[in-house]
Amino acid sequence: MNFKKVQECERTRIEKWSQFQLHNRWKSYGAILCLILFATAMVLKFSDLELGWFKDVVRRGILVCLLVVSLSKEKDEDEMVVSLRAKSYTLAFIFGVGYAIVQPLFEIVVHNIVFEPNPENTFSYFEILFYMLFIQIMFFEVLKRNR
Amino acid sequence: MENTIKVERAILSLTQDELAKKIGVSRQTINSIEANRYVPSTVLALKLSNVFGKPVNEFFKLSEDD
Repeated sequence: MNFKKVQECERTRIEKWSQFQLHNRWKSYGAILCLILFATAMVLKFSDLELGWFKDVVRRGILVCLLVVSLSKEKDEDEMVVSLRAKSYTLAFIFGVGYAIVQPLFEIVVHNIVFEPNPENTFSYFEILFYMLFIQIMFFEVLKRNR
Repeated sequence: MENTIKVERAILSLTQDELAKKIGVSRQTINSIEANRYVPSTVLALKLSNVFGKPVNEFFKLSEDD
């Protein structure tokens, strides 16, 4: 296989991946399941149950559901919706990086200066991924509503 | 980019919804194009050209800041 064929193959594959989307009905399934899991996470947070593994499962479930919502097509999907989605991913990426930079500083100020220092105040992958997916979905809905 | 899609649509007595259905997009997309909030792709511009029976540059014009 020559170099041009390899390039062509890579381009086709990347194009195929970038166009991957789920059917519109997955959006409702994802949103409903996400709300259920979020409510479960809240119950676990304020209960005395020692179910560390279950908390992890719920957290991962929330991320998967948000990803499903994010990847689902709209009912009236057209090129403008595709362009708005691309903008929302850009904004989510920028805000996500900004959050990752600012959040630890905020954590230091709030928990070490204002309150007592607490070693449990850590920055998790869940927080950043949840924030990015949530921001993407939120910006997409706002951009879509104002188009 | 400026356009006269609203005028062309009025000539053909088409509503935004009818034009949207003819070229396979949503009514909001037609509204955004008419309000210069969205610049359509070449494919969409050519579909509009087919509907209006005119070349693309007759209803899309470059503005000074383009």
